[in-house]
Amino acid sequence: MIDRRSVHPMAWIAWATSAGFVAFLTTDPVYLLLLWAVSWFVYASHRVDADHARSFRLFLTGAAVAVALRTALVFFGTVNAANTTFSFLEGLRLGTILVIFGTFNAVTDPFGLVRMAPRHFHEPALAAALALSIAPRTVAGVGRVRDAQRMRGIRIRGARALPALAVPVLERGMEEAHTLAESMDSRGHGAGRRSRYRPQPWTGRALLIAVTAVGAAATFLAASVGGWAVLHPQSSPIVWPEADPLLLAAVGLLATPGLVGRREA
Amino acid sequence: MPTVAAALRRSVAAALVIVAAMIPVTLPAVTRAAPACAAATGPHAALVIDTGTGTRSFCIALDATTVSGIHLIELAGAQDHLAYGFGSGGQAVCRLAGVGPQGDDCFADYPEYWGYWHGDGHGGWTWSSTGAASARVGGGALDAWVWGSGDSGATHRKPPTMVIDDVCVPAASPATTSSPARSTPRASVPSSGSPSSPTSTAPSQPGTTRSADPSARGVAKTSPPGGPPTAGALAAPPGPPPASAGPGPGLLVALVLGAALAGGGWLRLRSTRGRSAS
Repeated sequence: MIDRRSVHPMAWIAWATSAGFVAFLTTDPVYLLLLWAVSWFVYASHRVDADHARSFRLFLTGAAVAVALRTALVFFGTVNAANTTFSFLEGLRLGTILVIFGTFNAVTDPFGLVRMAPRHFHEPALAAALALSIAPRTVAGVGRVRDAQRMRGIRIRGARALPALAVPVLERGMEEAHTLAESMDSRGHGAGRRSRYRPQPWTGRALLIAVTAVGAAATFLAASVGGWAVLHPQSSPIVWPEADPLLLAAVGLLATPGLVGRREA
Repeated sequence: MPTVAAALRRSVAAALVIVAAMIPVTLPAVTRAAPACAAATGPHAALVIDTGTGTRSFCIALDATTVSGIHLIELAGAQDHLAYGFGSGGQAVCRLAGVGPQGDDCFADYPEYWGYWHGDGHGGWTWSSTGAASARVGGGALDAWVWGSGDSGATHRKPPTMVIDDVCVPAASPATTSSPARSTPRASVPSSGSPSSPTSTAPSQPGTTRSADPSARGVAKTSPPGGPPTAGALAAPPGPPPASAGPGPGLLVALVLGAALAGGGWLRLRSTRGRSAS
């Protein structure tokens, strides 16, 4: 039953865009926290490898920091329960978007995305792929340098040791970028004679993921435009957030990637 | 290999552009500080909403030297998520914080309606002689809306005694525009609509379809009748956080769904690890 092939990158783009859009539309903690759970489930089912797992953890930490910082901003104004709640919910939305992005990072190969791009958009796509892969590659690089330094008996601790860590990481990053560019050039990228080696199949599974994700986003858009459900719970005074059954189902739809199969390790 | 170097340079530049483009997306969310009374900057006015079951007060940063009473409510909606609904073409106040009629006729619940008061700066209140659309509110002024019956300031329920310092903690400026000279009775809302079927004396009925709609921030688009009424949206005194209605059944479903997803993810991760180790 388990499909060993990976999911088409376009399906992941559709999933991440839709999930991010849903998070953008609401400050209801019910939907937002559910999106955290959905992201976690999808990540657990589809993560690519250990390096990407590390980058997911990085985004998770970043999201927690974003929530804390956004909530702390309340100290610049009047501190009361309503304002703190409002700030926290805004931060939670920001954090949710980060977690979704982290999931997208962990389940896709950014350079697989470059292959998808039409020839004319190849360079912007390459730029986007580089931007997307900077976080996981830097995290992986830091890990490798740390291991190497430890073997040499250098303890990386505190701010003074930062150069010892940062210089090799940056150097390595530059080196990797050069290698990548050269290898791409040798394969005909940018010269208009690039071939498609083993194109990614657009499976029914990928289609299902894309369609359910877009459906979820459309449901939230309808709620936002139509106003038939509360997307921004009142914080002054604080009331219990509401959970509309249809919107709960829409968030549940975003868990489709975790349900229709998983990546074999 | 000039093409490689050029492509790399362009790609890095484009990557920087993408990162830069993301900054304005995240920045407003970060820099838009708490919607609160930063009393030190700019003029502020106080808005007091008394629904009969509770009183809420807002310290509102004005976006002009003086604003209309209507615009003060709009500002409260933007800054503090006060839900409101206007009638008579945006001239009259029908609905505040989920209390009041939903349609364009602000006297649909007559004899209950929103009475409009101005603070006199010494804790007292005077009945507004003008409608909210033409009333001018400046820095340090107090405006109050009280849900109740009574056709004039003599019979309508008054808001609790209050001065600007009670709302805007370190007061922005002393009361400048709130003059005690407004005393003509009954002009807060256009006298349209016929007094119909007097509602019960309960000031607000958070159980009926027209009540407590804490929906979207700002404009109260008023959820359809039959939508889940959330009682107690405003049923609390100012100050401590209010005791709100309990959580709805949807929350339980969400909790179960979230737990299932989190647990499922954990199991997946564990089984994957186990397989790769073996």
